[in-house]
Amino acid sequence: MSVISELSHIKTDHPRSAEERRARRKAAGRDNKAGYLFLLPWLIGLFVITIGPLIASLYLSFTEYSLIEAPVWNGLDNYIRMLDDARLHNSLKVTFIYVVVSVPLQLGLALAIAILLDRGMRGLAFYRSVFYLPSMLGASVAIALLWRQIFGTDGLVNQILRVFGLDATTGWISDPRYALSTIILLHVWTFGSPMVIFLAGLRQIPSMYHEAASMDGAGRWHRFRHITLPLLSPIIFFNLVLQMINAFQSFTQAFVVSNGTGGPSDSTMFYSLYLYQRGFGEFEMGYAAAMAWLLVVIVGALTAINFYASKYWVFYDD
Amino acid sequence: MTDLTARTELAPATAVAGPARAPRPRQGRGLGRSLIKHLLLIIASLVMIYPVIWMLVSSFRPTDVIFRSPGLWVNDLVIENYTEGWNALGTPFTSYLVNSAIIVIGAIAGNLFSCSLAAYAFARLQFRLKTLWFSIMLVTIMLPIHVVLVPQYILFNQLGWVNTFIPLILPKFLATDAFFVFLMVQFIRGIPRELDEAARIDGCGHWQIFWKMMIPLMVPALATTAIFTFIWTWSEFFTSLIYLTDPEKYTVPLALRSFLDSTSGSNWGAMFAMSIVSLIPIFLAFLFGQRYLVKGIATTGGK
Amino acid sequence: MALNRRQFLTGGLAVAATSMGLTACGGGSGGGGSSDGSADLQLAWWGNEVRNKNTAAAIDAYMKANPKVKISPQPGEFSSYWDKLATQTAGNKAPDVIQMDMAYIAEYGKRKALLDLEKYGADVSKFVEGSVDSGRIDGKLVGVNAGINTPTILANPKVFEKAGVEVPDDTTWTWDQAREVAAEVTAKAGGGVVGFGQLFVDSMLSAFLRQNGKALFTETGLGFEAPDVQPWFEMIVAFQKAKAIASPSQITEEANKPLDQTALVIGKSAMQMQWSNQIEAVNKSSGGEMLVLRYPSVAGKATDRKAWYKASMLWSASSRTKEPEEVVKLINWWVNSPECANINLAERGVPPNTEILAAIRPKLSPAQEKVAKFIEDIKPELAETPPAPPPGGGKIGDIMNRYQSDVLFGRSSPADAAKKFVDEAKSNLK
Repeated sequence: MSVISELSHIKTDHPRSAEERRARRKAAGRDNKAGYLFLLPWLIGLFVITIGPLIASLYLSFTEYSLIEAPVWNGLDNYIRMLDDARLHNSLKVTFIYVVVSVPLQLGLALAIAILLDRGMRGLAFYRSVFYLPSMLGASVAIALLWRQIFGTDGLVNQILRVFGLDATTGWISDPRYALSTIILLHVWTFGSPMVIFLAGLRQIPSMYHEAASMDGAGRWHRFRHITLPLLSPIIFFNLVLQMINAFQSFTQAFVVSNGTGGPSDSTMFYSLYLYQRGFGEFEMGYAAAMAWLLVVIVGALTAINFYASKYWVFYDD
Repeated sequence: MTDLTARTELAPATAVAGPARAPRPRQGRGLGRSLIKHLLLIIASLVMIYPVIWMLVSSFRPTDVIFRSPGLWVNDLVIENYTEGWNALGTPFTSYLVNSAIIVIGAIAGNLFSCSLAAYAFARLQFRLKTLWFSIMLVTIMLPIHVVLVPQYILFNQLGWVNTFIPLILPKFLATDAFFVFLMVQFIRGIPRELDEAARIDGCGHWQIFWKMMIPLMVPALATTAIFTFIWTWSEFFTSLIYLTDPEKYTVPLALRSFLDSTSGSNWGAMFAMSIVSLIPIFLAFLFGQRYLVKGIATTGGK
Repeated sequence: MALNRRQFLTGGLAVAATSMGLTACGGGSGGGGSSDGSADLQLAWWGNEVRNKNTAAAIDAYMKANPKVKISPQPGEFSSYWDKLATQTAGNKAPDVIQMDMAYIAEYGKRKALLDLEKYGADVSKFVEGSVDSGRIDGKLVGVNAGINTPTILANPKVFEKAGVEVPDDTTWTWDQAREVAAEVTAKAGGGVVGFGQLFVDSMLSAFLRQNGKALFTETGLGFEAPDVQPWFEMIVAFQKAKAIASPSQITEEANKPLDQTALVIGKSAMQMQWSNQIEAVNKSSGGEMLVLRYPSVAGKATDRKAWYKASMLWSASSRTKEPEEVVKLINWWVNSPECANINLAERGVPPNTEILAAIRPKLSPAQEKVAKFIEDIKPELAETPPAPPPGGGKIGDIMNRYQSDVLFGRSSPADAAKKFVDEAKSNLK
């Protein structure tokens, strides 16, 4: 059984006899030597590079740490402070809205375009590159500038709206009601990354499935629903889990577009941005560490739910 | 092992152009639909590339004109942004490109090597504590980087690796980019286990299955890893900022940032020009790499 | 399992190494230097191309004059500079010589990360009065003024001319009069031009508070209460209503724009608050010649406007440097030697050393000369130098912007905003 199936079955195993358990343990360790050998680089990386800082950051969350002076233990003070921090709660809200809206939008668009650009038409390489281009630019300063130009009070969008006679006097980027939408749009615009992953996944679906099905008289939509989607589901699952994790940690786009401030009236103050501000801006790295671990708990819980739910819709060929 | 590879031939994309169909429906309707599709795609493409075209056009305008004209018309083409921008930062821009290239190539090699090994272990092998390690791996993705940055910096400082490329490359050889491990796991799981078993019947051990069978079948995943690693590492700013103190060692994002100064005038023209220059490798990498991305699999008789 | 035990040992070592690094950040008093006068110094600064070139040239000149000293440059850009410095300090690898800003000097100074420069012989004897104390934290001189600037209002005479409005008399104007003049310009100029670009920034709040007998900060805390800042929020509303400033969204966007895209520079406003050392960049980017005006006062008298000399930036040193004497020698040379002054001129601000200023005066560009004269002229209008923002106070401008935005968009009343602003500012102070 693969790890992912195991994770999704964690709660649903029935009790076994001692003999069964022993046999399972033996089977579970049958590739021990090979497994650990293949895993060696990752394990070295984990213990030498990752785990030290990971545990250190957990330790820091119980301290007051200005970066300039040594950390000072302060117990649960940071965590208690989080309960009363209205700006933190706001940042959670902003981040949640962002995740719930932008992840499905971006993934839906990525999947649709990937299927469109999978095969069978001219200019595929060109279109794929063009749709991937925004992701290549990512959230650079140049793009942020342009975004502010386009969505500013006198920017391109408003100019076009005025041509149509609409009273477009408020800036999309500077009005607390709309600023978040511009960031969501920026994220959806960079759908190229998940699109590329979908493209690669679609390529792995042997075309003979499609041939056989269409010879049996199945139409496009039917084939999509019953062949493409199930066989693509491991990749959809991957994109879903990782885009969700990424979206919760979203930082760079809000940072460059709002110039590090979290947008008009904290309307684009993402959780990671607030964390960064407290950690580096206000020299409160201990508090930032506590915020980080809170995020791990939240995202961990949601990811676990994702894994658990995956057994209902993700189809693995092995 | 030749029959193994013969069984799973890699077929170029064009060979699997589409399922055999009954004769094409009325020519006109197919042509019309295809035309509309192309038209929509072209409009969408323009929306996608508009910002890049704007940057490209702006790089040919003098700095003080750039923000006065939002349109795409170019009246007076100037190339000073390129010629002066190339040398504006003390060292010629080539050295920044070379620095970035070194780091990127190292990162790609590292990721391809370590992540594929780890992914094979998680996807195909049974060993104790596997679920635990996998969960830990996921947790490493979930932790915001800003809090691990400082302890990591202290760690690398103790090892004396600050102001070198090592902190930027070595972690990749140790599969610290768990994103790609997970990606490859999902891909491997899409490859039927029967192939593994067939190979085992032929007497292959794990290493041979991995090297001779799995890797060739994973080419789209490997290509994805390579492309993403390229693009993400090429534009990685913060880690380069804190680990590289010698200006000669600066990477492209650091150099681009040096053109800006929010407290006085920035050299936008040069920045855009050099941004375009630094985009070219990424674009070429993608153009070249997407062939491998879409190498299809035609399993003939494998099932 | 044997493997696991080994792994835990390595992991434990890694954790130990990391935590050792963390606790090594205790205060230090700077070790002794090498006895033969040789030194290896790291010098960090932020800047633009001009400053980078000047600084590189100055470094070369110093190394030529002091062959045993090697200086490694660490140029940077303002916003990322502070993240890098904080990380380096945390790792006990801060540069020896640090270009410092008033917003951060207390954060580093009060936490003992900066060297006591006077202890190692810093020479500020020839500095003009009012330019030294901004570098003092807890009585110790931890920053040497690298260039003087002062808040000004820059005005575009062409915009005034086109609107048919007279440039106001900056020695007598009040805040109310400023509002009226600006509203007049907006009404008469047309084409989207407004009277004021950015005006309601933290330096102007400081001026306003000082004119009302308060201050932005004291040495240890906030220098004002909610009733003191409420009139400020009411004023911005009044300015907005009179159309002396742009619309709420435009104002919010202005705050994030780099200098060369602000309203005054692109010709969309008649006046704008700028620091005096920015005039050259403004002139260059706008292609015009700006007038340098004093900011308004409550009383209508320039001598009551409580001006001050700000250190546009300072030269500090890491308290853990291994070469404290060499570092101070370098800083002394930087601010007191004609050789260095000839290279840098007034790029970082007007040199505080009066002799040096006199020496380079003939070489200044017309804009820099204007600024130098302005700084001399306002001497009788100076009041006490404001203290550096205490730790946690450096970002008060951002907090103020947020509440101003709320007030402008009608999401908060001036009274409410004043109260919340003071509460938040206080809670940030350590």
